[in-house]
Amino acid sequence: MVEAVKLSRHNLFNTHIIPVNFKYFAPKTLNEALELLDKYGKEAKILAGGTDLLVKMKMRLVEPKYIINIKGIRELNFIKDEGNQVRIGALTRWRQLEKSELIKNFFPSLYDAVKVMGGTQIRNMATVGGNLCNASPAADSAPPLMVLNAKLVLASKKGEREIPITQFFKGPGKTVMEPDELLKEITIPKPEEGSGSAFIKVARTSMDLAKISAATALKVEDRKIVMVRIAIGSAAPTPVRTPKTEEALIGQPFRPSIIREKVKLVVNEISPIDDVRSTAFYRKEVSKIIVEDALLISYERASRR
Amino acid sequence: MKIPIHFILNGEEVSVEVEPNELLLNLLREKLGLTGPKYVCGIGECGACTVLLDGEPVLSCLTLAVDVDGHEVTTIEGLAKDNELTAVQKAFIEEAAVQCGYCTPGFIIMIDKLLKENPNPTEEEIREYIRGNLCRCTGYVNIVKAALKAAEELRKNTSLIKIKK
Amino acid sequence: MSSSEDPYALMEKWLKAKEFLVVGKGVRRADALEKAMGQARFVEDFYMPGHMLFIKQVLSTEPHARILGIDASKALEVPSVEGVFTAKDIPGENQVGYALPDQPLIAEGKVRFAGELVALVAAKDFDKAIEAAEKVKIMYDPLPYVLDPLEAMERKDILVHGEVGSNIAFRTKVRKGDIEEGFSKSDVIVENEYRTHHQDHVYLETEGALALPELGDRLTVISAGQYPHLVRAIVARVVGLPESNIKVIIPYMGGGFGGKDDEGPLVAAKAALIAKLTGKPSFLMYTRDESMLMHPKREATIIKYKSGASRDGKLQAIEVKIIHDTGAYSNRGPFILWRATVHASGPYRVPHAKVDGYCIYTNKVYQGSYRGFGNPSVQFAAEAQMDSLARKLGIDPVELRLKNLLRPGDLTITGQQLNESVGVADAVAKLAKVSEWSSKIKAYSSSNGRYRRGIGIGVAWHGISTSRGVPDWSNALVKIEKDGSVSVHTGIVEMGQGSPVSSHRQIASEILGAPLDVVTVDFGTTDAPDTGATHASRGTSIGAIGVYVAAAKLRERLNKLASELLGTSPDEIEIKDGKAYLRSNPEKYISWKELIKEAYSRGVEMSATGYFFLPKGKFNDEAGQGYAYPAFSYVAMVAEVEVDTYTGKVRVLRIWPALAAGRIINPTQVEGQVEGAAVQGMGYVLMEQFVFDNKGRILNPNLTDYVVPTALDAPEIMRPVYVEDIFKYGPFGAKGVGEMALIPAPAAIANAVSNALGVQVTKLPLTPENVYFLIKEKMGKKA
Repeated sequence: MVEAVKLSRHNLFNTHIIPVNFKYFAPKTLNEALELLDKYGKEAKILAGGTDLLVKMKMRLVEPKYIINIKGIRELNFIKDEGNQVRIGALTRWRQLEKSELIKNFFPSLYDAVKVMGGTQIRNMATVGGNLCNASPAADSAPPLMVLNAKLVLASKKGEREIPITQFFKGPGKTVMEPDELLKEITIPKPEEGSGSAFIKVARTSMDLAKISAATALKVEDRKIVMVRIAIGSAAPTPVRTPKTEEALIGQPFRPSIIREKVKLVVNEISPIDDVRSTAFYRKEVSKIIVEDALLISYERASRR
Repeated sequence: MKIPIHFILNGEEVSVEVEPNELLLNLLREKLGLTGPKYVCGIGECGACTVLLDGEPVLSCLTLAVDVDGHEVTTIEGLAKDNELTAVQKAFIEEAAVQCGYCTPGFIIMIDKLLKENPNPTEEEIREYIRGNLCRCTGYVNIVKAALKAAEELRKNTSLIKIKK
Repeated sequence: MSSSEDPYALMEKWLKAKEFLVVGKGVRRADALEKAMGQARFVEDFYMPGHMLFIKQVLSTEPHARILGIDASKALEVPSVEGVFTAKDIPGENQVGYALPDQPLIAEGKVRFAGELVALVAAKDFDKAIEAAEKVKIMYDPLPYVLDPLEAMERKDILVHGEVGSNIAFRTKVRKGDIEEGFSKSDVIVENEYRTHHQDHVYLETEGALALPELGDRLTVISAGQYPHLVRAIVARVVGLPESNIKVIIPYMGGGFGGKDDEGPLVAAKAALIAKLTGKPSFLMYTRDESMLMHPKREATIIKYKSGASRDGKLQAIEVKIIHDTGAYSNRGPFILWRATVHASGPYRVPHAKVDGYCIYTNKVYQGSYRGFGNPSVQFAAEAQMDSLARKLGIDPVELRLKNLLRPGDLTITGQQLNESVGVADAVAKLAKVSEWSSKIKAYSSSNGRYRRGIGIGVAWHGISTSRGVPDWSNALVKIEKDGSVSVHTGIVEMGQGSPVSSHRQIASEILGAPLDVVTVDFGTTDAPDTGATHASRGTSIGAIGVYVAAAKLRERLNKLASELLGTSPDEIEIKDGKAYLRSNPEKYISWKELIKEAYSRGVEMSATGYFFLPKGKFNDEAGQGYAYPAFSYVAMVAEVEVDTYTGKVRVLRIWPALAAGRIINPTQVEGQVEGAAVQGMGYVLMEQFVFDNKGRILNPNLTDYVVPTALDAPEIMRPVYVEDIFKYGPFGAKGVGEMALIPAPAAIANAVSNALGVQVTKLPLTPENVYFLIKEKMGKKA
C-alpha cells in the first residue's frame, strides 16, 4: 500500500519480483535483533508483516542492504491486560486485535480501525508496529491510538525509552526513531470511566486507504464536555491531533448545534493536499463531518457503558 | 547467497534452496510447479496469490520464501485430496461462482478457511472476510452463494463429495 | 453439399424448436472443475524461467517528443541480455492500427503519449531484463503537446499526427428528418453537456504471450487475445511471415472485457518479434503498472445533447454532438464512435435526428474496446435527457419511456426498420413492476434529511454484430469421432464469459441429440476456421451460429442414416438419451454409438463446418442513413441508491436488470454476465478514475491507487427479467448478452442519484468529491 509512483520509475521495477539484493537475518530474540540493528541499523530495514516494506522494495522506493526479519521474535507478540493499561507487542497482527475482546471492549475506536484496515490476509500479516513505523499519514491505527493516549516503547541496545504517540511521527515515512531503535510495544491506558471513543474512515472502497479519517475520545459529565481528544488522518504530513478544536469544545454543553459549530475549527488544524485519492477541498469539508459523527458515536458509546 | 529451507507443502516435505529476495509466489509457481496461486496486482490488493501459512491465509506475493522455513504451506492444489473436492470447491462449481477462474483459487482458499473459523457465517460476514479478494467477472453474487451453500453442506456433515476428474 | 444442408433452411428448422433437452437450462460449465482445483492453465502458467527469454518493455516518459536516439550500450553489458530491440528491427510492417493506419507497434521517430513502447529488452534472466531496461537511454526532443480534446479540435499548431493535418481522427454522422421542424413541434426542450471518463478493464490477468519459434520459419504463439485469427494476422504482418506459418493458441484467459481484443494481438506481436529475431522461445507478461499505463481504455467523452418533446410526451427531435478523446492513436476509436453515433437516440422512436461524432487525437493513452463499446456513455446522456424531459413534462420517467420505446415495425434514427425481435417495451413494463417503481419514485422524490434514497432507470439498446453492414460471419468445425464423442473447434475464446464451455456445448448437444458430456469444445485456436472475434456480445449470438449450422448438417446426415437403418423416413427420427429411434415407436432404435459406427462404415462424413455469412444491408455515410445492425439486444436497469448528503458518498443498494436478448441458452451463465457487468458498471460510476498529471501521464496505474469494487462494495442484484424476443439468425434465436448490463448502469445509477438529490447528474464519476460538489452547488442555487 504505497502512494502513487512517478512514471519515470516504471522501467525500474516489476512487481513480480524484489529487484533488490540484501543480506538476510532472522533473529529469534529481541536482544539479537537489537544487536543487529546496532551493527547495521543505518542500512537495514526491519521486516515484520512485509505488506508495506516488500511493496516498497518491489518498487525500489527503498533498497536496504540488510533485512532483519523479526517475525520469529515471539516475545514481541502479545496483548496483555495490566489492570489500568493494556500492552500490545509491536509484532501483534491486526487479526489478533480483531479477535481480542479486550480491544473491542476497552478501545472501540481502535477496534473500528481494525475492522476497516485492509482485507483478511493483510490483517493476518500486517503488524501494529509496522503500521505505525511506516508513518503513513493514512495509517489507520494512528488516529485512534492518538486519542487513546497511547505510548510507544522504543528499544535499542542502549536501553528503552517511552514516548507519547503524538510525538512519534515526523513526516510521511519519518518517525523519531533512531536507526538502531526498534518499536517494542504500545501501551494504552484504559479509558476513564464514562468516556467513549470512535474512528471513522472515508475511503473509495472497503479495501482502500483513507481519503480522510478521524478518531475521537469524549467524556461528558452533567451534560458538559469534560474531556475530548480528536485526531485526524490523511489530512497532513502526519496524523495530527487538533488541540485548538479540543480546547474550544472543553466545558461546552454536549449539544449537536454546539458540536457542529465548534468542529468547524478542525479545518484550521489540518493541511491536506490533492492526490489520487481525494482533494484538499473535500478533505477539509469532510473533516468537520466525520469529527462530528465520531463525537456523536463516542458519546453514545460512553452512555452505553 | 542461497539459503536452504525445509517446509511442508500440501502435506509433503519440501527442501529447496532460495535467494533471500525470492518470493513465496515465485517459488511455488516457477520452481515447484504449483500455478494455482496467481500474480495479479503484486502489491497486496487482490488476494489472487493467497495461500495458507500454518493454516492462516497470507499473500504469497508479499511473503519471502525464506520465511516459510519450518512452516506449513497449503495452496489450492492441496485442498482436494485424492480428487475429492472440498465442499467449497464443489459449491463453486454448482453455484457457477467460477467465470474466468483467475481469482478462483484465492477465493476458495479464503472461504475454506472462513468456514473452519465460522461454520455459519452471515452473508455480511462472508463479504467482509473476502473483501481482500478481487473478482472482476462475477459481481461476487455467486461467490457469496457458493460460500453459503458450502457452509450449509458442511453443517450437514457431507463435506467430501467424490467427483471424478 | 446437398441442398438439405443449406444454412438458412437449417436455421429456420431449428428456430421452430419448442421443447429442449439442454437449451434454456442452467447447465454447468465444462471448465469449472479445472478452475476450482487451480489446474486451469493461463498464459503465464506456461512460462519456464531460465528456459526462455523474458521480455521487458521500455516505455516513453514523454507525452510528445521526437526520439533523437536510443543508446542501448549499457543495457547490452548486463549479463544474460540477448538484445535490445527497437522499431528498426521489425522485419515486417511496424503498423498495427485496426481502423486507421496510424499506429506503430514500437514508436518510430516520435512518441505520442507517456507509456508508449519504445524498446524491448530480452534476457535469459527475468531480473536482468529489468535491470537492462533501466539502462536503455532514450534521448528525447520534447514537442508541445495537447491533452484536452476540445482544445485539440481547434489547434492546428500542435498535431498528434502531423500527416493528418488536424487532430480530428475520424467523423461520423446520422441525419434523419429535419430537426428544425422537430424542435418547432416540441413543447419542451432540454439541452445539457455530459462528460464521462476513462475506465480500466482491470482484468485480473494482465496481457501476456509466449512465442515459440519452430523449424521452417513457423511460429506458435500462446497468447491472451480475443480473436486468434486477428492475433495471427497482426503477428504475421509484424514479423513478415505468411499467416499460414503461424499458429495461435489462446488458452484460458483471466478476463478480457474488450481490452484484450485490442492489446492481445500487440502483446503477441511483441513476443513473436523477439522469438523471430532471436530464434528463442520468448515470453512477455505485462506488470499491472505496464498494463494500466499502456492498454487502451474505455472512451472518455464530451456529449452535447439537445432533445425536444411534445406535451403528450412524444420525442420530436434530438441534436447530439459526441466527442471522443481517442488519445494518441485511433485504435478502434472510429468503430467505437460509430457505434455511439447510431445508438445516440437510445431505444426510442425519434422522427428528427442529427448526430455528429468526432474522434479526437490527444497526447494521452489511447481509447479502445471496453464492454459496451462507446454505448454506456451515450446511453447515459440519452437517459439523463429522458429524465430531464420527464421532469419538465411532469410525466413519470418510466411512462415517458414507454411512450417512446421502439416497437416492432418502427424505424431507428438511421432509418432501419425493425420488424421483429424488439422486446424492450415489454421488458421495461415488467421491470417497473418487479422493482416497485411507482411507489418508490413517489416516496423518494420528496425525501430529505442526511441520507437520501433515490431510484433511477436506464434503458439501452445494443446492435448485434459489427456496425453498418461491415461483413460478419460465423464458422466452426464439428466432428463426431468414431467412439461417438463430439469435438467442436471454434475460434471463440474462453475469457470467463463461458460461451465455448457452456452454450456451444449445449447447442451441439441439443441439435445432435448427443449427451452433453460427450461434447468437448476446443476453443480459441487458429486450427479452427475463422469464427470472428469474441467481442461485441457475439460469442454465442454470432460465434455459436457456426456450431449450430455444422451440428445441424450432421444431424441431417444422422437422421437420414438412421431412417435407412430403421426403415423409416428421416423426419420420423428422434435422437436423444443415447439412441436414435422412431418417434412413433421408441422401441425401434439404434444406439448412438452404433449409429456413429455405421456412419463410419457406410461412408457418411462425420465432420462438418458451419459457415454462415450474416446477410446485411448498407449504410450510406454521405446521407447518414441506412442499415446499422441485423438486430439489437435491449437491456434495462433500475438502481436504488442511498446518498450521504453530508459526505457525498453514494451507495448502490439494489439493482434490477431486464434483458430482451432473444433466447436465453443458459440462464445461469447469463445471470453471471449480468451480475458481473452491473458491478463493473457500478465501479465505473462511483469509484474508478484515472488521475492524469499535467503531461497526460497516468498517476495511478496500480490497484492501490486505482480501485475496483470489493465484495463489500457490491450491491444486491436481483434476478433478471427476461423477454425472449427471438432473433431469426441467432442460435435458437439468441442475441448478445455479455456487454448488456454494463450499458445502462451509468444511466440507472446517475438517474437514481439525480432522483435522490433533486438535481440532474451530467458528469461522471460520482465520487464523493463530485457528488459533494453537486450538493453544494444546488444549495448555493437555492440560497
